[in-house]
Amino acid sequence: MTAPARGLDAAAARKHLDRVLGLAKKLAAGAEVSASLSSSRSANTRFARSELTSNGDVAQTTLDLSIAFGKREASVSTNQLDERSLRAAIDQAARLARIAPEDPERQPVLGPQRYVAVKGAFDKATAGLGAAERATAAAAAIDAGVAGKLDVAGFYEHAATSRARATSAGLFAFHASTRASFSTTCRTADATGSGWAGAWSRAAGAIDAGALATVAADKAVRSAKPRSLAPGTYQVVLEPAAVGELLGFFAGAMNRRTADEGRSYFSKPGGGTRLGEKVLPAHVTLTSDPADPDLPTAPFAGDGLPLTKTTWIDQGAITNLACSRFWAAKHGLAALGRPGAWRMAGGSAASIDDLVKGVKRGVLITRFWYTRWVDPRTMLITGLTRDGVFLIENGAVTAPVNNFRFNESPLVMLGTSDAMTSRLWQTPTGLVPALRCGEFNLASVSEAV
Amino acid sequence: MVAAPMTLTRRSLLRGAGAGAALALAAPALSRLADARGLLTERTLDDVIQAGLAAAKKAGATYADVRIVRRRWESIQTREDHVSGVSASESYGVGVRVIAGGAWGFAASATVTPAEATRAARLAVDIARANARIVKRPVTLAAEPPHVDVWQTPLSRDPFKIPLEDKAELLLAINQVALKQKGVKYVSSSFDGASEWKLFASSEGAYLEQDIVRVAPGYAVTAVDVGKGEFASRAHEIAPMQAGWEYVADSTMLADAPRIAAEAVEKLNAAPVVPGKKDLILLPSNLWLTIHESIGHPTELDRALGYEANFAGTSFATVDKLGKLEFAAPHVDVYADKTTTGGLATCGYDDDGVATQKWDIIKGGRFVGYQTTREQAGWINEPRSRGTCYGENFGSFPFQRMPNISLAPGKKELSLADLVSATDDGILIAGNGSWSIDHQRYNFQFGGQTFHEIKKGKVTRMLKDVAYQANTLAFWHACDLLGGARTWQLGGSMSDGKGEPGQSNAVSHGCPPARFRKIDVLNTDTRRTP
Repeated sequence: MTAPARGLDAAAARKHLDRVLGLAKKLAAGAEVSASLSSSRSANTRFARSELTSNGDVAQTTLDLSIAFGKREASVSTNQLDERSLRAAIDQAARLARIAPEDPERQPVLGPQRYVAVKGAFDKATAGLGAAERATAAAAAIDAGVAGKLDVAGFYEHAATSRARATSAGLFAFHASTRASFSTTCRTADATGSGWAGAWSRAAGAIDAGALATVAADKAVRSAKPRSLAPGTYQVVLEPAAVGELLGFFAGAMNRRTADEGRSYFSKPGGGTRLGEKVLPAHVTLTSDPADPDLPTAPFAGDGLPLTKTTWIDQGAITNLACSRFWAAKHGLAALGRPGAWRMAGGSAASIDDLVKGVKRGVLITRFWYTRWVDPRTMLITGLTRDGVFLIENGAVTAPVNNFRFNESPLVMLGTSDAMTSRLWQTPTGLVPALRCGEFNLASVSEAV
Repeated sequence: MVAAPMTLTRRSLLRGAGAGAALALAAPALSRLADARGLLTERTLDDVIQAGLAAAKKAGATYADVRIVRRRWESIQTREDHVSGVSASESYGVGVRVIAGGAWGFAASATVTPAEATRAARLAVDIARANARIVKRPVTLAAEPPHVDVWQTPLSRDPFKIPLEDKAELLLAINQVALKQKGVKYVSSSFDGASEWKLFASSEGAYLEQDIVRVAPGYAVTAVDVGKGEFASRAHEIAPMQAGWEYVADSTMLADAPRIAAEAVEKLNAAPVVPGKKDLILLPSNLWLTIHESIGHPTELDRALGYEANFAGTSFATVDKLGKLEFAAPHVDVYADKTTTGGLATCGYDDDGVATQKWDIIKGGRFVGYQTTREQAGWINEPRSRGTCYGENFGSFPFQRMPNISLAPGKKELSLADLVSATDDGILIAGNGSWSIDHQRYNFQFGGQTFHEIKKGKVTRMLKDVAYQANTLAFWHACDLLGGARTWQLGGSMSDGKGEPGQSNAVSHGCPPARFRKIDVLNTDTRRTP
């Protein structure tokens, strides 16, 4: 089968999954079966040194199939959906499942579920983009940078994707979406300045490549010949890309089981979890909603569990932790899936400049790089600043400064935050504001530009 | 230029006709190739390649290659007393890469038929033409003879043929032993087998079939002190390897389980490190990753020239420094190598069809070599590619990826004990913890799995919450002792990321234990060091 240019639609996905379930019923009689189809066409154009470099256009549909006999289960995935390949996949899953040791944690497959209606996740224009449109966007960025004698690099990617899931107990779930992202880095000819800007959206039309390149070019020029600033703990203003990256570590650690098992920040010393504890300031609220009109996402988790509007941090208090179906069943809890995107509530600042105005002496940070866990007990993360770091003095940006390695926790980022923008930006983690925090450990100098 | 239409086919090759006469394969090798190809028949492969190359030529490509790639994974995961996951996956398809109008074009399809190869070839040429209007430097390829060959991972036990029960039995035995240790609450263990099969044919006449098998076993033990709200994990250091199941079966993973479990508990109560400058002795299980990040990535030529500026970054090792930069202490030799047995990046030919090689990156402390592809060799006036082009999957555009890059052992046959006894105030570090390095590869910070204090030439006690932070050049100049050839070991990663969209590459790094003088050590527990 050739994957369609826009991902499978609901009817086609259901037809394929019915065929898979029907075959599995024959070839693996008595088994519980679940099957997911992920279908996408994604295309990209890459540029560097102010010219186009590489590109791609790939359509693919992948079937993930799980077969279980009682507590024995195995999963098989394949990107080949012809009859012979399907039979081979089902046979392999059944064979592995029959010899797999029992998994006491295995849960029965889900039956029919009710999902919230999600509107606007699929943008037809984005699904129809081609190499010429991408080249035009890249050229706009290159032109903006070259005008300032800068070296321009960047990446433009768009995809149309659908996800469908069905089970032998009658579940059917389907979600189609598009996404587009554009990012660009401009560097000065003397290699002392570098600026970045990027945007993510479900609709390519919402992304203005030339405008982003202008921001990146401006940052490159303004960041050239940075002043030396000593490492230390500073007040910082974090732009949305930086906030989203650190928030992702926090959100990813919100897991009920590891908290109950005593191996996470969310574990309470002596036993139990920090659920209900107010660990952050009252202006910190973290939610998720698949039907969020600003960032619609799939209304179901990977196993088909419905995702609904959820408050994870309510005015500083931890109100929910993601919980698997097994852990929920074992402890009499409600299962709670991890959302496709998070939404951090904004504040009242009208702009990033407004955040800067409140800083006596601090640092403005564009984005982070190579962030990694250091200590899960304190959620300590290390990483580096990159592509636009500026000294703030008496409420104004006064000079570019060197990059830093940081060793800091999102708990400190959120815990010492005192102002946020009202505007939210889309990042890979979800919708986040820019924010100002009282202390941030910029631990050592990085010579990188 | 596109060469004459190919007349050599897979079938003629394996029958021993023409250039393939020397390639008559033994029955086990043929049987492994058949498994690796799955449902793809010889006739289909031949037809798809001919169709792709012909369509690209007809559409006006000046160069084309067709890559059919099939990848298989098999994975088993356990926790404590049970198997928590059994999975297998496969994907295959065909990718066509062309040069037209001086620009690259690439398109791929998961459907391996002549019709789809034709469609992909035409689309690739269309994309190349769209890009050609803003290409300033037309792509040119360094010369390489059109090789015709078959290459396979040397192994004795195909991991895909080992029964699931045997794999589960080993992993659950490890868990059982580890859980006997008082204080240990959780153990997770896993095994991954990976097969990467690919057929590469170019318009220049290259015709290469490769069958690469990798294995990645591992486990981690977690000790918890609920009362104190403390927890610590200890992962075994076993490296992933290009090998068969024999590597896992012959390993000391199970025998080590009591020690690994005891060390997880010991970590809970270990002495917090006092930050400051220390002499570090880094075991190969830790140092391989430091080599990867601080020498491997900065010596990628595309990075150095700005091709990765928007994502992975650039490099301090710029082209003007080639042959001049004193990268490391004079006794430090580092080489790139895609031929070492067991190396994850080892193979016969890269995804440009270039025969793999071994060459110097740092010689006598001086920076002397880059990693290149056919497109890149000319950028630094080298006549031939180093053979480091790689695309992760059939749908991945091949580009420059890291070969195995290794630190040569010291000339003297020093043992680890010799290094320890020569050290007055130091820390011995094993395994990988946290890792991070800046986008030009100057400032890095690494953790580890275990940290042992060395005082007056003796290992005294375990320390915890250790990370070391340094500047690449200062660090490599601070290297003053190297273990001998007998201490040299391969470490590696199954998933090194680079590029946009991100692609994963498997790569190994060999090294002896080595000593580094007066390196900054941090205490990472911010509750103690606010």
